[in-house]
Amino acid sequence: MSALLPPIHLSACGALTAFGDENASLSAMLDGRRALAPLPVLGRDGGDLVPLALCQDRAFDETLPPSWIVQLRALAQRIPGEGWGSPRRPVFVTSSNFGVGSLYAFRREGNPAHLDHGTPFRCIDWIASELGWGPDVTTFSHACVSAHLGVLQASRTLAAGLADEALVFSFDFISPFVSGGFHSLKILNASFPAPYHDGATGSIGLGDGAAFAVLTRDRGDFTITAQSLHNEMHHFTANQADGSGFEACLAPVLAQTDGRRLWLKGHGTGTIEAGRLEANTLGRHFPGAPLVSWKGALGHTLGSCGLVELAIATAAIRGGRAPGTVGGAAPSFTPDVALAPVDLGAFDGALCTSNAFGGAHAALLLSHA
Amino acid sequence: MLERWITALSTEDPGLEESATTRERLKTRFPRNATRRMTQLGLLVGAALEPLAPVETDTLVYASGYAESRALEDYLDSFPSASPTLFQTSIHPSAVQQALIIRQQSIRQFFPLTGGDYLPAQALQVALLADTPRAILCGGEERGTWLLAQNAASDRTFAFALALSTSPDNALARVTLNAVADGATGSLTLPGFFDTLHARRPFDGFVAPARRLMIEWL
Amino acid sequence: MPDPLLIKLKTLVVETLRLEDVIPADIPDDEPLIGGGLSLDSIDALELVVRLEKEFGIKIASSEESRIALASMASLAAYIRAHADPSRLPA
Repeated sequence: MSALLPPIHLSACGALTAFGDENASLSAMLDGRRALAPLPVLGRDGGDLVPLALCQDRAFDETLPPSWIVQLRALAQRIPGEGWGSPRRPVFVTSSNFGVGSLYAFRREGNPAHLDHGTPFRCIDWIASELGWGPDVTTFSHACVSAHLGVLQASRTLAAGLADEALVFSFDFISPFVSGGFHSLKILNASFPAPYHDGATGSIGLGDGAAFAVLTRDRGDFTITAQSLHNEMHHFTANQADGSGFEACLAPVLAQTDGRRLWLKGHGTGTIEAGRLEANTLGRHFPGAPLVSWKGALGHTLGSCGLVELAIATAAIRGGRAPGTVGGAAPSFTPDVALAPVDLGAFDGALCTSNAFGGAHAALLLSHA
Repeated sequence: MLERWITALSTEDPGLEESATTRERLKTRFPRNATRRMTQLGLLVGAALEPLAPVETDTLVYASGYAESRALEDYLDSFPSASPTLFQTSIHPSAVQQALIIRQQSIRQFFPLTGGDYLPAQALQVALLADTPRAILCGGEERGTWLLAQNAASDRTFAFALALSTSPDNALARVTLNAVADGATGSLTLPGFFDTLHARRPFDGFVAPARRLMIEWL
Repeated sequence: MPDPLLIKLKTLVVETLRLEDVIPADIPDDEPLIGGGLSLDSIDALELVVRLEKEFGIKIASSEESRIALASMASLAAYIRAHADPSRLPA
């Protein structure tokens, strides 16, 4: 399976969260800070207060054009190289929500100008134009594993010799459309997320997120040596109770982890059942490996989480220290959940995982080149 | 050059049929009571996938430009009391999930795409790069209502599923996608791709920058 | 004498979840509502919660609380009686 692809190199990687770039996010989380703050779930329309993390100076209610384009332009300026979106330098965009905030704004206000950014491909066409990309832009959308799909397809495209370099670009910005939906699922409520906490109730937070990664066949100080996917198709919002979905995703990468000293960047949104299954499965295969989730600090950045958190993981490896599970609390589902920061000197790689609606799972193995 | 063989093909072309009629027409093809939450697109994609019988070891690629337009419209209309069912259903790639969850059919590799004029080319490339013996490429659109009035939804409803095999045994057609360096370009929309498949028409042309597609029916 | 609240709740369940071929009066009072004979799941439960919140002015805060409230039709009726404004209950 995908685990058999040749290693792919990360020659550049960066992220944007409510804290700022990946280094600012890393620093804030090492200090144990949260970006989440209680905000009305429906923005100017009010509603319950729920934990959200918006990028600085960004309006929650959608503007014309969408306010988050400022953040995307700033992030894109950090992407090295030129000619992105040409056939030999393709772009793989991943998002779960695209411009749905604009669709919500249109329905609320009736101004059709919002629709220029509302549908996924119009949104991407607009972004590509704003960022100066060519037409070779492929868009994946599969909720919270979207970024992993972009990385895997970029890897395959490079391995097949169809590109010289590939850019993966992920983004998801919160809007009342999204927060209203998660609130209706009763998992985004007044409580702040405590990932992997073995408690009676669970809840999530949502956060803005965007990230990029430049993938090459042969340059870069990080490599991705294994990638895996699995889709349970058991239920939209629940996993197989026996954890078999989590197991199935890990199986193809396990051979690559033999003899490695890994730390684990998990998904951990703050929900109970999925968090328990995830922690128990990882603990079974990697006993003693510290497991962290950063969604208690950043919020769940949805379609961008895989790449946002990958970028922060690379920054952590460079700095020698990874944030612990900010917002987590004892007791945790397993003793391997790290609540405090982790010194990375003893480790030679990280297993990064994400999960999504429909029982979708994704994993990749990150190493220093 | 990327090459595979179409070994199965299923298309659904309900024209202007309304969602309730599609549900009534197709409900016996799904488990009893399973269709009450399904969208029109989910029903049609499910019906198109059924004869191909996806298995866990397939690669599944799904392409839709507008995806669940009606669920999206209804979800937006449900505010301020947002409907969890409609929220869930409006999220891409709901149509495939609806079809496979009903059958509890897991899939190891699933790649849902969205896009515009190059979507079929991009979805085909993903399918042709698959590392499994069989890749299933499916997709479709459903006609919108108030979003359509604003040109923000499809004006057609259709669905398709084709199996792309590495083996030519029992093949219906040969598919090749060539990366061409000479700067030529072209496009093929998802409705256009559907029409080509539905009519079993041969195709030879550029479908994206530097991407030439050939479909030869055998 | 049939409980008017139970009758109303059963009708709401059938309408909200678009259950074909189900007569409200046939829904048992004490069997599990979710995962029982009606084949309802957690998403159905959440959809019901939205409808119930609107209908009775109650607030169910979490998925765990909704699971308790929706354990059966009888437990749902008890929950509504305990949390709703009496003026919104059927006479």
